[in-house]
Amino acid sequence: MISNRHGSRRFRRGASAVAALALVAAACGGSDDAETSVDDAATEADAGDEAEAETEADAETEAESDGDTEEDAGDAEEVDAEAEDDNGGIIEGEQIEVAEGTVEVRWFIGLGTGSQDEQIDAQDEIVKTFNASQDEVTLVPQYVDNAVASDVLATQIAGGDAPDLIGPVGLAGSNAFAGQYLDLDPLVASSGYDIDQFGDAKDVYRDPVDGLLGIPFAVFPSAIFYNTELFDEAGLPYPPAEYGDGGITMYGEGTEFEGEWNYDKLEEIALILSVDSNGNDATSAEYDQSSIEQFGYVHQWTEDPAAQGSFFGAGSVVQEDGSAAIPEQWVAEWKWYQNMVHVNGATPNADYQASDALAGNAFNSGRVAMANTHLWYTCCLFDEDGNARTNFNLAAVPNYEGTVTSKLHGDSFRIHKDTDNPEQTFAALQYLLEEGALDLLTVYGAAPAREDIREDYFAGLDEIFTQGVNWGVIMTGLDYPDVPNHEANMPNFLESDALIKEFSAPLMSDPDFDIDAAVAEMEADLNAIFGT
Amino acid sequence: MTATTTATGVDRKGTGNRLGRMALAKEPQKSFRDLDGPTKRFIGKAGVTLFATIIMVGFLLPLVFMGVTSLKTEDQLANQQILPKTVDTVTITEGEFAGDYDLLSVPLPDGSTPALALVKPGREESTFVDPAAPEVPIEWVGRWRTLEPGYTLDPTFENFGRAYDRLNFLQLLRNTGVIAGLGMAGTVISSTLVAYGLSRFRMRFKGLIIASLVATIILPRFVTLVPTYAVFSRLGWVGTWWPLIVPHFFANAYNVFLLRQFFLTIPRDLDEAAEIDGAGPLKTLITVILPQAKGAILAVALFHFFFAWNDFLEPLIYLSGRRDLQPISVGLYEFLGLYDTAIPLVQAGAILSMSVPILVFLSLQKIFLGGIDLSGSLK
Amino acid sequence: MATTLFAGSPDETDTVDIGDGRLAKRERRRGLLFVSPWLIGLTLFFVFPIVASLVMSFTDYRLVADGDEPTKFVGLENWRTMLGDDNVRNGLWVTAKFGLLFVPMSIFVPLGFAYLLTSERLWGRSFFRVMFYLPSMVPFVAGVIVWRFYLNNQSGWLSRLLRGAGWEGTPNFLNDKNWVLPTLVFMAMWGVGNSIIIFIAALNGVPTQLYEAAKIDGAGKWRLFRDVTWPMISPITFYNVIISLVGLGQYFLVPFVLLGPEGPPEGASRFYTMVFFRETFSFFKGGYGAALAWGMFIIVFAITSLLFWSAKFWVHYEYEER
Repeated sequence: MISNRHGSRRFRRGASAVAALALVAAACGGSDDAETSVDDAATEADAGDEAEAETEADAETEAESDGDTEEDAGDAEEVDAEAEDDNGGIIEGEQIEVAEGTVEVRWFIGLGTGSQDEQIDAQDEIVKTFNASQDEVTLVPQYVDNAVASDVLATQIAGGDAPDLIGPVGLAGSNAFAGQYLDLDPLVASSGYDIDQFGDAKDVYRDPVDGLLGIPFAVFPSAIFYNTELFDEAGLPYPPAEYGDGGITMYGEGTEFEGEWNYDKLEEIALILSVDSNGNDATSAEYDQSSIEQFGYVHQWTEDPAAQGSFFGAGSVVQEDGSAAIPEQWVAEWKWYQNMVHVNGATPNADYQASDALAGNAFNSGRVAMANTHLWYTCCLFDEDGNARTNFNLAAVPNYEGTVTSKLHGDSFRIHKDTDNPEQTFAALQYLLEEGALDLLTVYGAAPAREDIREDYFAGLDEIFTQGVNWGVIMTGLDYPDVPNHEANMPNFLESDALIKEFSAPLMSDPDFDIDAAVAEMEADLNAIFGT
Repeated sequence: MTATTTATGVDRKGTGNRLGRMALAKEPQKSFRDLDGPTKRFIGKAGVTLFATIIMVGFLLPLVFMGVTSLKTEDQLANQQILPKTVDTVTITEGEFAGDYDLLSVPLPDGSTPALALVKPGREESTFVDPAAPEVPIEWVGRWRTLEPGYTLDPTFENFGRAYDRLNFLQLLRNTGVIAGLGMAGTVISSTLVAYGLSRFRMRFKGLIIASLVATIILPRFVTLVPTYAVFSRLGWVGTWWPLIVPHFFANAYNVFLLRQFFLTIPRDLDEAAEIDGAGPLKTLITVILPQAKGAILAVALFHFFFAWNDFLEPLIYLSGRRDLQPISVGLYEFLGLYDTAIPLVQAGAILSMSVPILVFLSLQKIFLGGIDLSGSLK
Repeated sequence: MATTLFAGSPDETDTVDIGDGRLAKRERRRGLLFVSPWLIGLTLFFVFPIVASLVMSFTDYRLVADGDEPTKFVGLENWRTMLGDDNVRNGLWVTAKFGLLFVPMSIFVPLGFAYLLTSERLWGRSFFRVMFYLPSMVPFVAGVIVWRFYLNNQSGWLSRLLRGAGWEGTPNFLNDKNWVLPTLVFMAMWGVGNSIIIFIAALNGVPTQLYEAAKIDGAGKWRLFRDVTWPMISPITFYNVIISLVGLGQYFLVPFVLLGPEGPPEGASRFYTMVFFRETFSFFKGGYGAALAWGMFIIVFAITSLLFWSAKFWVHYEYEER
């Protein structure tokens, strides 16, 4: 879900696909295995209480997993055992040894956050603590770079080598792998896990047909991140620190800039906050767009068309009759942003964003005054020596025509339906949601879905960002989520999603991009893909 | 180089040519170049060399850019100087304005332009202090952005260490080495055998076999990608090195042609002599042909080394989940995905990744530039 | 026989009939044994995948199964879809535009360099040869990393250089739909080291008497090139044309890693290969992808055949005149 957060979307999307090749395997060898294990898993899940039946199943699977070398887990086919052994000899991976008498549970990390270098060590620690805490399960993490994670997962599934535990997974990840996740209801029932502690969020991942597909773990509401130094330099009041009635709030009360906090107001102050190398701001006629030193505003890694469109109001391209239509407020937002980039020069275009000055992480460079992004962006507010930035704070998102939308991301943990060990996997999952939760959330830059640990969580963040960040305003954003979510499912998800995403490149780089014509074309193409 | 060219079949005599025949008809005259005086010749040489130098600098400028960028810190990158220069700063330790500040040259009303610390920037009016007298604020009217900061050249080599660690360079080197080494052995052995077969034996359908080799050069690799993947997947080889190694044990058109062409230049009397001594064909190959073809075989080995170092699509497809097994090309690609907001670090990583092939090339450049390549097989 | 450019000159073992004697049979058997690695490789890695690919192109095979529906034959549907697919047409058009620039440039740029590097008036020729070959040694991912930042319109050195030379408003080399293809061709010129070496060998191989003779006839530099050099090196030129056409048909990795598989902006860099890659590996349409791959095969095959046929009109073979 937060696939674009670490950097260039080109690279992230770039690789989407590569490994899926393997799926050929599904047609060849893998599929038989996969089907069999689906049945096994189903039986086990249904069997729930019948402990005896399970023990048998476990015994079988243990025997099986012993056969697999760890490096080559899942190549259940006996072909060329010799070759695999040879191969095993040369590999020195620092993988965790599966302790004798325990069941291996493979944890796939990378579909959402979690495969960043700094995050890996912390997760390894959590895994070690868990493995030492009990003697039934050995949790084995598998970190895959976010850029290729969905391809690798597709490859593994097709090869009959699906992981047991998958997560954190966002909505987009769940759409791309719809039908692959296990219904957790029987496991929740048999283990007696208290799912009510998640409040209303507990049913977010419930499918009317397939049941409970994920347990919420983290939420990432969004807010305006603003650079206090740049506001001070311009002598402007800070953006509002809290929401008013219905989310509507005021900017700069008691100053000459006073007005309702909406996107027009944001644009107005963004212009003042954009400065060229001669010190002219973007309201000046002399403002030179070829030598901009500082920008007023950016969609920080939230530039995907559906994502940024939702800033002006949630919507879906799928209409009730199943045909495609682009929500009007999205088109309005795209035009607004195009104007910000290419006419106002208040938002960095593609070239500026990739330039040495902004280096692909615009707000963190200190040259952008405001950014609209999610809580996960706390990942990347550091200098190269790892010192946290202390010159930013959070503010309310502006309204668009009276509607406030704090775009929401959420991550969950999933169990793959082909797992041989649902009980043990669920035990590991429970650990991550309970004992391991706080550490893990800090690593991920995610707010806990469990309300009872939120206070501790933000206390931890305050130790990193010592300036006293207004976390309250971003959490209030949870009251104004985008429903339907901008990553919601669509017919033929992979193709329609790719088509919509294509829109952002010309928006960011082509001043003459004709949005109306492109939208008409996109609607036609989407209708073709939807088959309507 | 010329010697090799001749040896590998470019006919320098050219007696069959029309123009060649015309040459016989008249007395050769002095070339116009010889009529030039030594000074003129010197100027001509200097001019051509200068021209070549300019082109070369332009051609290699991206590499210079890469080197310079890799020596920058992120702050040095962001200040947009060409060279790694740090903005001069000053630390004020006590008083109201304690902290780190940039030093700017401020033109004061008295006509002096001292380097002052910018303690409170404002749009049209800013506050500076003199580091020598940090208690006295100096209010200055004007735009601080138009003031020149001082710069100090200050390159850093830290990026190389970081890139080395984060790339896990040794592991990538080992993986690439094993894949390249085994593949090299495979392609040298198999291509030698096939080239020997095609240069020394009469057989049916030889033309067809040669044509099939040419055809595989022309065939787009995408046509075979998916079915080949299916086969390896069925063998359980996905996520292992075998798909990157095993195919090289079945010869390759470029190498076969190169070796065959070389074998054809080795006189047959020698192997006939060996045969009379009772040597079988394999023994003849090993004792007679190979010692003479060392150079060509080394070239094939080197070409494979560079191929393996650069090969990307197959390793990406077969090893995408396996960081511990990936060769350097894929490792660098993932590194770029992770750290593309750290431009100097990424450039340092790229320099590391190309260091080995460049070093090999520089130390063995005679072989590369000496014409052992497909030109050898050109008629 | 233009194939000799690849396969080398024919020798007597290629043509002479050795009859059916015992010795002849033994020689054939032995020859076959030595060639067998290739025959096995050809079958495993070429013939079988090509046939499998063809079969797949007539099915609705998906890489990730969509529900439980089995793969079935759909006749010519994929092929028909391909003919009417805008993306395919655009991909061909992009590839053709790129090729129109790339193929001539990949002949004349290295030829120009080779001329320079064989000039008798150049000091330190071997040093310059090493330097001009050097970029060909840069692994392509590293090359992409350099170019991506080198070409940035704001801070990249190329734009700074051009601005310094007085060109205001330098183009967005990678983000402008009119500039992205010329930029890719420009980048490709970095890797012409091998072609330079081949052309140097070819230029050195032109007999000096020919130049002498032409000069006696009063030929100027241009006529020397047109009447002597060009015909004499035409087989090498032909070889380079074929190699760059083959390269064109496979051109994929640089734009894929540099720009991403959707070929931004607005499909301006979406080569035919990327269309294939996206359909197959992003959208999992294995059957359609196979048809696209075969379409590529057919086009490349047709163009190369045409070239081989055309060779007799412009490629000058000495041995034909013997």
